[in-house]
Amino acid sequence: MARVTLQDVTKRYEDVVAVDEMNVEIEDGEFVCLVGPSGCGKSTTMESIAGLTKPTDGTIEIGEADVTTLPPKDRGVAMVFQNIALFPHMDVYDNISFGLRLRDYDTNEIDRRVEHATDVVQLEGMLDRMPEEMSGGQRQRVAIARAIVREPSVFLMDEPLANLDAKLRVHMRTELQRLHQELDTTIVYVTHDQAEAMTMSDRIAVINSGSLQQIDPPLVCYNEPANLFVAGFIGSPSMNFVDGRLTAFGLETDTFDLKFEPEHLDGVSVGDDVTMGIRPEDVYLSDIGQSADDETAPIGATTDVLEPMGDEIFVYLDLEHESGAPTDEGGMGASSNQLLLSVEPDLEISENEAVTVTLDRSKIHLFDGASGEALTHGIEDLADSPLEQGKPNVGGPDE
Amino acid sequence: MATTDQSSTEQETTGQPSSEPEGGPLERWAQSLVTNKDKRDRLYKLLFYVAAGFFLVTTLFPFYWLLVLALTPNSQIIGGDWGVPIPFVGTEIPFPHPQGFNVHAFVEVFQQVPFHLYVFNSFVLATATTIIVLAIASLAGYVFGRLDFPGRGPLMLAVLVVSYFPPAAFLVPLFDAFLGNAIVVPFVGWELISAPRLVNTPGSMIMPFSALFLPLAIFILTTFYAQIPDGLEDAARVEGTTRLGALFRVIMPLSAPGIATAAVLTFISVYNEYFFSSIMSLQNQPEQWSPLVGGILSYQDQYTTDFNLMAAASIIGVIPVVIIVILAQERIVSGLTAGALKE
Repeated sequence: MARVTLQDVTKRYEDVVAVDEMNVEIEDGEFVCLVGPSGCGKSTTMESIAGLTKPTDGTIEIGEADVTTLPPKDRGVAMVFQNIALFPHMDVYDNISFGLRLRDYDTNEIDRRVEHATDVVQLEGMLDRMPEEMSGGQRQRVAIARAIVREPSVFLMDEPLANLDAKLRVHMRTELQRLHQELDTTIVYVTHDQAEAMTMSDRIAVINSGSLQQIDPPLVCYNEPANLFVAGFIGSPSMNFVDGRLTAFGLETDTFDLKFEPEHLDGVSVGDDVTMGIRPEDVYLSDIGQSADDETAPIGATTDVLEPMGDEIFVYLDLEHESGAPTDEGGMGASSNQLLLSVEPDLEISENEAVTVTLDRSKIHLFDGASGEALTHGIEDLADSPLEQGKPNVGGPDE
Repeated sequence: MATTDQSSTEQETTGQPSSEPEGGPLERWAQSLVTNKDKRDRLYKLLFYVAAGFFLVTTLFPFYWLLVLALTPNSQIIGGDWGVPIPFVGTEIPFPHPQGFNVHAFVEVFQQVPFHLYVFNSFVLATATTIIVLAIASLAGYVFGRLDFPGRGPLMLAVLVVSYFPPAAFLVPLFDAFLGNAIVVPFVGWELISAPRLVNTPGSMIMPFSALFLPLAIFILTTFYAQIPDGLEDAARVEGTTRLGALFRVIMPLSAPGIATAAVLTFISVYNEYFFSSIMSLQNQPEQWSPLVGGILSYQDQYTTDFNLMAAASIIGVIPVVIIVILAQERIVSGLTAGALKE
């Protein structure tokens, strides 16, 4: 068990910067997920910790020791790979005991530890099987047993569940959490799946284009994303974004206005581009009497596509244009004229229906349009009631 | 053929049995082949045995011929009547067969010359060369196959260029150097090093052999090592091996077919080698590391040639190679059938 500290870790390849001045401190016994889209540098970060890649710059400490120049075998880490990477020419016992045999452990000690490890991952009675005779889930468990048998100070897991089918993945997810409780070892876990990150980790490190965007507990990342990227990446379906401009009265977009006192926002001034973000569950359908404690003025919209999920329905809304200028519709992180909201599964709703929605003011995020940095999470404290009452179709509580 | 095709398609469309035979017997037979799957399978099987039999006969007949020569007393070989047919199921076919049964030749081989020493020489040379080649080619194959570094392509090409030269091109300078003469810069006369006298020692043969057979082995191992997934090597390194340890414990066992191929090719080439070793061993004597072929040729002197002994010696000389190839074959086949290279 040990802390892992990354200090200004940078990895440059000939023409690309894979990891850019990464600073992360992982506490002893913590479960940290490195999460980000493909090619964001999370695996390179992991490989740097493991010692498989030498960082161009910066230092890596495990425990109290600077391991930046140590080979992988001397770092006291164990790793589980995305492609499982069992040695195909060895049976399960040889695979699990590989590291112990290399270190000349006593045979009895090896047997004891292998038995314990297979116990933990529930692989009893399979020790003489060859990897090719096992299913994907069993192989992954052998790989995990191979990692825990050495009782490492840090576990590194590089998308260990990515190659498993969906059902098995959820099952292994809980097993990994149980394993973490049992072993209480520092775990660094790389994934591109934000659901895995949300459910398992103590803290999530969101990485994009080689640089750390935010490292916080899952719910903090969810509720108080540091910037547009984190807001769009964490949460499924992802956050709604609407581009707008800051006015003296609040936020003005192509389709609706939000009313608040902009002086309280640091770093932006009237006229700057600001992007509003709101999660699907914080959009309320006022037609059926849904409302938040502190909601914005009603916004007219038309339903577009419905996605019944069973436990809820995702409704895509086309916002009614005020100016008529179409904005481009994009995916994650890009703003669009669409709002996504989730409603109860038994709600009678059809496509192309005119509806009115309100937004929960306490859940509205504002991001600097230029830098993408978060300005505020929740605008309820910024509200200035006297001003809002003057104009129709403005945000803020009706009372 | 056209008629056959036609009639067969006719048959398929009309669905009638071939009760109305047209054309000659060959045409009818061909038609029955097209329509009858059992007959077709039998024909394919027959063709397979014919082809396999052809290859077996062409490869094994030389050995049979060696055996015939070895068993026939030498006096009979030169004046022997090879046209004597042997009775075969009521008739007689001309087939070369031993003129007598002189098993004693296999003993005489060792009485006339110390043939076992020649075999030993070739075996030692081949084994030592194979070990050196595999050791160096494994490291080189790892570097070329698994590491990315500037100049990898040109360097690999440079290694392969060595194998483009005819070995004879190296012979004179090597012989000169191995004689123990000082190596002198041409025209200037500066003495670089005074080489040790290596002729009549295994070193004078193992070194050139290793150099000559390395490029091919490097090429084979590079392609095999390059196929091992990176994840396996990473896993081994995290588990506690060095890069070299991962090579020996994971990459090489998984590349067993490639290593066996390179080893067998090198071993057989060196074992059969005569050109270099006959020159590097100044006299054709086993004490001077004359190789197997030298031993076989020593049954021939100025006046007589013991063909039967040469044949017997050839058979004896082949045995070690046969054993090794069979053992390696086992590895090659098991390596291929395991098919375990996917992660």
